[in-house]
Parts: sequence; structure tokens; C-alpha cells
Amino acid sequence: MADNSSKRLSRRKFIAASGTAGALALAGCTSNPNAGGGDDERSDGDSTDGGDGGGSTEGGNSSTGDGNSEYQNLSGEINVAGSSTVYPLAQALQEQFTSEEMHPDVNITLQSTGSGGGFQNYFCVGDTDFNNASRPIKEEEQALCQDNGVNPVELKVATDALTVVVNNENDFVDEITFEQLYQIWSADSDASTWSDVNSEWPDEKLQLFGPTEASGTYDYFLETVIGEEGPGMRTDYQATENDRTIVQGVQGSQYAMGFFGFAYYSNNTDAVKALSVEGGDSDGAVAPKLETAKSGAYPLARPLFTYPARESLAEEHVAAFAKFFVEQSTNEDIVANQVGYVPNSQEEADEMMSTLESAIQEAQG
Amino acid sequence: MAADSPSTVRDGFGTVSRTAGVVFRYALLAATLLGILAVGILFVYVANDAIQPFTADPGWHLTFFLTLVVPTLAVGYSLSGRGEGSLRVGLESLGLLAVMPLFAGGVAVLFLSILPALVVFSFAVALAIPLAAIVALQRTRQVGFVAKLVAAAVVTVASLLFVPNFIQNVPVIPVEWLLVALTIGAPTAAIAGAYAAASWNDRRVGRIAALAALGGVLVGGLVGSLTGVGGIAATVLATVAGVPVGLYVATVVDQHPTRREGLLLPLVVLGGMLLGAFLVRTVGFAGPASWLDWAFVTSDNSFSAESAGIYPALAGSIMLMLIVSLASFPIGIGAAVYLEEYAGNSRLTRLIEVNIANLAGVPSVVYGLLGLGLLARMLEDGLPVFPAVVADPLGLEPIRVGGDLFGIGTVFVGGLTLSLLILPIVIISSQEAIRSVPPSQRQASYGMGATRWQTVKNVVLPKAFPGILTGTILALGRAIGETAPLLVIGAPNEFGIPQELSSRVGAMPLQIYAWATTSGTEEFYTKVIPAGVVVLLVAMLAMNSVAIVLRNRYRQRN
Repeated sequence: MADNSSKRLSRRKFIAASGTAGALALAGCTSNPNAGGGDDERSDGDSTDGGDGGGSTEGGNSSTGDGNSEYQNLSGEINVAGSSTVYPLAQALQEQFTSEEMHPDVNITLQSTGSGGGFQNYFCVGDTDFNNASRPIKEEEQALCQDNGVNPVELKVATDALTVVVNNENDFVDEITFEQLYQIWSADSDASTWSDVNSEWPDEKLQLFGPTEASGTYDYFLETVIGEEGPGMRTDYQATENDRTIVQGVQGSQYAMGFFGFAYYSNNTDAVKALSVEGGDSDGAVAPKLETAKSGAYPLARPLFTYPARESLAEEHVAAFAKFFVEQSTNEDIVANQVGYVPNSQEEADEMMSTLESAIQEAQG
Repeated sequence: MAADSPSTVRDGFGTVSRTAGVVFRYALLAATLLGILAVGILFVYVANDAIQPFTADPGWHLTFFLTLVVPTLAVGYSLSGRGEGSLRVGLESLGLLAVMPLFAGGVAVLFLSILPALVVFSFAVALAIPLAAIVALQRTRQVGFVAKLVAAAVVTVASLLFVPNFIQNVPVIPVEWLLVALTIGAPTAAIAGAYAAASWNDRRVGRIAALAALGGVLVGGLVGSLTGVGGIAATVLATVAGVPVGLYVATVVDQHPTRREGLLLPLVVLGGMLLGAFLVRTVGFAGPASWLDWAFVTSDNSFSAESAGIYPALAGSIMLMLIVSLASFPIGIGAAVYLEEYAGNSRLTRLIEVNIANLAGVPSVVYGLLGLGLLARMLEDGLPVFPAVVADPLGLEPIRVGGDLFGIGTVFVGGLTLSLLILPIVIISSQEAIRSVPPSQRQASYGMGATRWQTVKNVVLPKAFPGILTGTILALGRAIGETAPLLVIGAPNEFGIPQELSSRVGAMPLQIYAWATTSGTEEFYTKVIPAGVVVLLVAMLAMNSVAIVLRNRYRQRN
């Protein structure tokens, strides 16, 4: 019985409600932007699956013109992984690129995986559109990419000064040589205290913090200081892909040492002390600074890269972000002041732009 | 007698020292306090960093103390003296006022940033049509069940295939807020009507309540669209917060006249807040330099701590919750009903139940690996509808669907992974709820000649519903805080608002983790992260509070 009444109720209510709703709907109508133009769905920016995807020239993004100016209304996804050293730069640029004034409908995701981790696990298997790297791509990574039909395009975006840091309380060392770094960090060294490296230094245990093997910073340090054919890095240090942990580790212990990209140091100049480095063909010990990295006087200055996949550049919004990345690599304010790297010179940027343009042309046919 | 010589002391009746008992008791007390204290201190510490109350003028504190705290305490005290449950009414209405706008905010985010109103509306209509058809079919008695089933299936599929597309291409459509009002306002009004009809035991009241609710939603939307609030936001606020609060107030006023005074409490709080804000502004006392403000909640993440916000993460969490609830609730509740009502007490069911209980304790990172291996990698090219194993020998092309949904770190994969994670919890808590329905009620139903299906549908599920809801909401609360499984499936550190199911996943705990690991400046650690933690905790507490209130009401009724 109760069941019955509720049924009648709901029917009457349904009629009443739909009547009211219909009347109101008539009162407040607008024209449908979707209608007429057929299926106007947002073009799916996820080009990453199916590495052989070159054919995704949906290009329905209104501006098919040449334009630097009419990038408006781009939308889609761009996935970036790779170096934690390049991460802050990429983060600053993505924020600009997706700002209200530029392309708010483009969704850029960033992942800090280390240069090698990014190539190996994400980029070369077709899961990301860009990979940031703090060292050039290796041959085996190149081969892996090739196997999956991914063609990396190398773009240099800034110059870094790899910075060796010690605790602020550390008053016995201000400069260090490649030989000493070798003694501290290489696998065949048995240095366990500071005095093992230099008898004038205290007899205290070395506490070492550094990046993991997935990191480009690790690769660069290994190659430059220890040598590619050398014994390799020691393994008994605190390895982390998180530069913040290195800062905190060094901050927390008077006899600690660590190294990472200059950007993390420039944000933490009060927290840790950077060492001047002597080595290679440097003229004595040189302090890590943007100027010394730019001039090449600092022995641990190194280029930073981003690698877009040529297949992804077929999509307008990915190409636009790649161009933006290169354009802004000369921007003193973003690259040097906000992030803390040496901007590209205009010539370098022009060269990168022409590399990129031809890759885009190839990709877009 | 001789046996009871003083030397034979029986166990347990020797010399009794009270000291041991006292020590034991205070040790327990200390353990309890230590736990609560540790959590409490942590929370206060984080909240202090996020809100920084001591940066405010003393006058600001004094003003609010006088306008807000003192009157609230006074009213609360007088209510508690009055008895009759009026203090409870006051606290409940205050809680509703505090929590429902939060949920409204969540739903509004869904409509404002993730789901286009027209698309949602078209699918709502496409689902409403078969629902209406099924209700109509149920009343016809001439047709057999199989025929009904076929008809219902045909209508459902046809409706889902054609209606959304048709509606999305109608040349003239209602304005967006009106679409939202129809999509969520109309069902809410119907539920409010049904609730009112049952509560007053009067169909007329139910009809009036439904119409009033719908009218309130429409008026709210109209006002919102004409003022600065925005039509969609106001519509959602009126639906999600306005209707329940209105219903609660109406119930109290009409059905519990002795508790009416309780409604004074929220009025005093609201009035005190407004008065305090007004006074502070006119006198010019500076408020606290809170890092957690409207801008933090509504702006994008940023490279610089000053402009970093949590909005994309919030939107991502809401989208994840949507997927998780859609995926895990039907499966979990279905499994629980089967295990409790249908499966006998065989060795197999016991084995299954033990396994489910164990799965509930599996570390979340393991589920993350499952998501990575199975959902992100094996299904990367899509679900094998027509697998290669079958297709290749026949010389046909294998068919796989949904290739863009699966893959590294997509929202879809993230949602399914979290669903797997909470599925055992949903099943177990639903089982508990179903088990707590007294067997006598089932027997009564059977005694009236009802079938098992009718008993489950009409007796067990309605009775167990609040309990099921409590458990599932608590499980959702766990899912919203999970980080490890998302990291394992390849979630990014920096993300935007997910626009599609194939977008990369983002969520609040992920954002906090990213801030804690990749940001360079100290401000992130001392201000942005605490603010993010407070937002996450508030979201979790809001969900848990609903679960707790539901549980309490349910217990009282039984």
C-alpha cells in the first residue's frame, strides 16, 4: 500500500518538476557553442601511447598558420620527466606557458626522475613528450629510443655550475681540487676521514651526500672528476634523487659534503657553503658563480638539455612549448635570477631554434 | 580445617597490593595521553604555521573573542542546561553549516573545472530516461521478466548512445547554471521530497518540500549568476548545502518544538562572525597573515612560494574520489551482499573472507605496483576485447579499447589503483553493516512470503544502508590521503587540473610530497606545506565527520 502511494507521488512530482524545469529552461537559454560545428571535442593531447604515432595530425587547433603570435587557444597535455637539476627551470617555464595570458588550456605535467631514469623509464618507451637532462643522451638510451620509434631532439637550454658544498661550520676547507674530490668520491679510494685526504684536515669521518645513479649530475660528476674509464663512484654515501635531502644532510653535520646543481645552492646560500674548485684546465681554484660558469672558467660548468620527442612535436601545443623553452632560454630574469642557471647566448638560442624548427617541420610534414 | 594452615596460600588470594593496579592504570592513561598529545601537538604546530594566528593584532583577537567566543559559549551553556537535546540540535546544525559548504565547494570544483555542465547534463538525461523506463516497465504486469530485462537493456544502450550526442548538439541550450541546477538540483529535490514525505508521513509535505528545494536551488542560481558569486557556484551551494540545512531546520522547527532553541547556536556563531568582521574592518585591526587563504585554495601551483596554490591538486583529488567511488562502491557492496546473504558458510567462503581481511592489510605501495604492472603497463594499449591470442590464428586484427585511459600515471589508472586499495575495506565494512541487520527482520520478510531478492532489496539494504555508507566514506577518507600508490604508477610532481581520464593524475598528498621534495626555497617548508596539510586534513575530517554522524544516528535508531 505504502509502496503504491509513493509511486503515484513520484509520478506526479515528476510531471510537476519537469514542467517547472522546462519552463525555466525556456526562460534562460543560450546558443550552444558545440552545435553546428559537429563534434568539437578537445583534441586529445596524449600522443604518448603508440610510439609510432606520427599520424596524429589532428591539428584542429584553429591556428595552423606559421605564427609565433597566434598560438592562442592551444590545448592538450604535455608530459615532461627527467633531471631534477633542470626541473626548477622547466617548472618556471611551464608556469609562464600555462598562465592566463598564454595557454591556460594546456596541461603540462613535470616529473623529477633524474636524467637517466627519465630516458630509461619514461621517455624512450614513449610515455613522455620531453625529457630534461643534465648531460647529453647516452648511446644505449639513444638505441632504446630508436627501438620504440622515439626520436629525441637535443636542445641545450642553460648552463649549470655543479656545486660542491660543505657545512657552514666547516672552517678548514674553502677550495678543493679534482684530485681531492677523486680521493673522496671514487670507488677505489679508502678515504674515510677528512685527514685521509689532506693531513691538515681534521681526523673526522667524511659524511657524503650525493645524487643517485639515475641522475645526470651523478653521470657528469663521474665522467669529469673520476673519469669514464675510472673505478666509478663509491657506493657508501647517502644517495638521493632529492636535492633538498642533500642540502639538509650537509646542513645537519659539520663534516658533511655533497654536490648538486647551482640552482639548489643559489636558493640555499645561507644553509650551506660552496667550495671553489680547481681542476681540468682551470686557473687555480674558481668559485661556482653564474659568471664563472658562463665564461667556462669554473671547471664543473656543464650544459643542461631538454629533449623533445620528434613525434610529439607534430602536435601544435607541444611544438609551441618547445619553441617557448628555447626562446626563454636567453631570458636573464627567469633562467638566472629566478632559477639560478646561466642563460643561453642569443647565438646558442638561434642555433637551437633552427634545430627545433627543422625537427618540427619534419614531424608536421 | 587442618588443611588451611597459614602456610598454604592459594593462588590469587595471597597478599594483594593495590600499587600494581594503580601503576597499571596510570601507565594506560599515560599511553593514551601520549598518543593524543603527539597528534594534537603536530596538528597545532602545522595549523600555527599555516594560519599564523599570532601575527594578528591583539585587538583582532579581542574583538572576535567578545563577539564570537563569549556569546557562543554563553548560548551553548544555557542550551546544555535546558536539556531536551537542544544543545545537540545546535551542534548538529552548526556542523551542517560548517561541513556542507565544504562539500558544495568540492562539487562546484567538479562542475567549474573538470566536467563541462552540458556533458554532465546530457549523460544525466541519458541515464534518467532508462531509469524512468524501468520504473514504468516494473508496473506493467503482463510482460515477463526476461522481456522486461531486454527492453530495459535496449532502452539503456540506445539512450546512452544517442541522447548525450543529441543534447550536446542542440542549437539552443539553457545557461550553464541552469543545466547544473537540473542535473543535481532536481534529483536532490526529489530526495528531499521523499525524505520529507517519510519524515512527516504526509505526501503533501513531501511535494511541497521537493518544490521548495527545487525553487530554492533555482533562486540561488539566479541570484548567484546576477551577483559576483557565479551561477554554477551558487547553484551547487544551494543544492549541496542549502537544501540539507533547510530540511534540517524545517524538521527541527516542526517536529521537535522543544529543541528549537538549539538553532540559536549557529545564528549566534554566524552573527558573531559577521559582527566581528565588521568591527575589525571599521576599527582597522589587522587579521592574521594566514598563508592559508582563499587565494591559496583557488590558485594554481607556482614556482614561487608566494603564489603557490593547491587548486589543481584539490581538483585532482576530487576527480580521483569520483572514480574511486564509482569503481569501488558497486563492486564492494555487491561482494558484501553476496558473501553475507547468498554464499553459505562453506570452506570456500571462509577462505575468501580470510583473504579479503588480509588484503585490507596489504601495504598501499604493493597496490601501487599492481596498478603499475597491470593497469599501466599490461593494459597500456587498451583492454583486449578481442585478444591477439584468438585473433591471430583467425587472421584477424585484435581489438583493444580504451588505450588512452590506461598508461603511466593517468587519472583513470590512479583511480582504479586506489579503488583496489580500498575495495577490501569497503567489503568488510559493508559486511559488518549487513550482518548487524537483525535476523528476525529477515525471517519476518521470508515469513510474509518474500523472496530472497525482495528481502535483500526491501529489508536488508535499507536497514544496512547507513552502516554501509559510513564504512565506505571512511574508506574514501583513506584513499584521499594515499600517496605511495600514485607515486608508483608514475604520478608527476607538477600537474595541472586533469581535463580527461587520460590526463596525468594529481592529488593533494602528491602536491604536498612534491613541495617537500622538489621545491628550493625555505618558504615552501615553513608556510606552503603546512597550509597544504591543513587543506588535506580539513577535507579528510569533513568526510570522516559525515561518516561519524551517520554512524551515531544509526546507532541511536537501533
